[in-house]
Amino acid sequence: MDSLQYLLLLFISTVLINNFVLIQFLGICPFLGVSRYVETAFSMGLAATFVMTMTAFATYFINTFILEALNLEFLQYMSFIIVIASLVQFVEMFIKKVSPVLYKALGIYLPLITTNCAIMGMALLIPQNDYNFIESIVFGFGAGVGFTLAIVLIAGLRQEIQFGDVPQDLKGMPITLILAGLMALAFMGFAGLAVV
Amino acid sequence: MKNYLDIFKNGLWNENPIFKLIIGLCPTLAVTNTVVNGFAMGMATGFVLISSEIVISLIKKWIPNDVRIPSFILIIVTFVTFTDYFLGAFFPDIADALALFIPLIVVNCLILGRQEAFASQNPTRKAIFDAVGMTVGFTWVLVALSAIRELFGFGTLAGVEIFGAGYTDMIIMILPGGAFLTLGVLVGFLNFLDRKVGSDNG
Amino acid sequence: MAEKNNSIAKLVITLTIIGAFGALFLAGVYEWTIPHILEHEARAREQAIMEVLPDLDYYEEVTHNDKIFYEGYDENDNLVGVAVSLKGGGYAGEIEIMIGTDPQEGKILNIYVLNHQETPGLGARITEEQFREDFKDAPFSELEIVQRTPEEPYEIEAIAGATMSVEAVKNIVSDVGDIVTEHYGGGN
Repeated sequence: MDSLQYLLLLFISTVLINNFVLIQFLGICPFLGVSRYVETAFSMGLAATFVMTMTAFATYFINTFILEALNLEFLQYMSFIIVIASLVQFVEMFIKKVSPVLYKALGIYLPLITTNCAIMGMALLIPQNDYNFIESIVFGFGAGVGFTLAIVLIAGLRQEIQFGDVPQDLKGMPITLILAGLMALAFMGFAGLAVV
Repeated sequence: MKNYLDIFKNGLWNENPIFKLIIGLCPTLAVTNTVVNGFAMGMATGFVLISSEIVISLIKKWIPNDVRIPSFILIIVTFVTFTDYFLGAFFPDIADALALFIPLIVVNCLILGRQEAFASQNPTRKAIFDAVGMTVGFTWVLVALSAIRELFGFGTLAGVEIFGAGYTDMIIMILPGGAFLTLGVLVGFLNFLDRKVGSDNG
Repeated sequence: MAEKNNSIAKLVITLTIIGAFGALFLAGVYEWTIPHILEHEARAREQAIMEVLPDLDYYEEVTHNDKIFYEGYDENDNLVGVAVSLKGGGYAGEIEIMIGTDPQEGKILNIYVLNHQETPGLGARITEEQFREDFKDAPFSELEIVQRTPEEPYEIEAIAGATMSVEAVKNIVSDVGDIVTEHYGGGN
């Protein structure tokens, strides 16, 4: 039971306290680029969450049973990026087949997941934090949920602010960054939630 | 020669990676809490950008179009791993400070973006000018941002005391929220400058 | 059909060649840099041991059950203390601390933060002398965080805005008693 509680704490901590986007600055590019509408933001979040969970799964095995076992740590970055790129390719083909509408909506952003540093960052944090298999999966999934939460929230704010009177020079990226800053300050409040 | 100079100047302002192209923002926000870190990040990214633009512009004609992007990524990740081990061996303090964000240079859209947009279509000499211009453009915004954050956040500039011992550190500048706010205001200010200078010229 | 196979083969060959070249190059880089990296780590460890064990002349590395202990001796070959490096989760990442202990007296001598990723200016203050001071002479038992100047040896003063970092350090250091006592006996 103790470990179940620990896993829950790890999940909450990854989603809220150490939110990938707002606290750790991972995945800023899609966070700013694909957050114009709540719906696309949500789809992007789903796709990223799926890829992240799979990546956590795959990189855990590669790191533990191939790289560390054979002392090939210097190929860590290379093998991780190959895994991520292949997974993204797979997800792209899958979505294309299952839902052409969703594929059209996500369009050019799907390949961008490859260069989403939230995914690479998560893969790198797993060996760094010595997570075991279950922890890795929870961490990967939590990171994805945290990313989705942040991107959907900012998309909601951006939809609202379209009707606001924003100074000309702050329109677009600057005001989004300022909104993100306020959100990041709010998220800091979650630090009091739990101690892992 | 003028042509090359234009390519170089392009990265400084007109196509500045951070406030015009809005790419490569993760390290921009994450490591700019001190000037030294911001500058080191700019240099590390620049090294990877310049080396991969050189290699890719040299071997581009042997790379089949269908595996263009994977090939670029493989070349980039090789240089990134080199940078990581090199900094770890000879500049351990910088390696500790930048930590995770050195390997994450791999997924900096700036690097892949320039290979796709420039190095794969231009001769090596032009690619070098493009890479150096982008590096300087990326680094100066990083240094400007980190200077603001360090000055107000710690009262120092590159470690040198500016405001004296009585200064109360504005911790918010160092926190994640402060990073977003400062960059937002800075980009807004640069947009303002751009508009003013632009309208004067026109 | 043959043509298509041919082109797929060509794609795979291209990627394999690039990957192989990269891997080979990196193997060389690894061989070249790893001695330097290990040397930095060893030096950092040595400095940490000197910080946490007073009157240290030399130390010996001892392994008990896969756990490495550093036994410190003074000029007259008397044991001055045992240092051990422990890790645990902090606010932003893992925290690694070198802890010097006196197993006979059952107390902590000093601590030194080897690695951390805490927020600069807030959590990072766990590396400051004033905070480390609270751990000096703390007993091998559960430590306690207080919001005022510590009065008892087991009390640690909190740092404003760094609750989680302080809590993490406390948890890591609290384990040291059991680990050291298990191998060195001690206590009165």
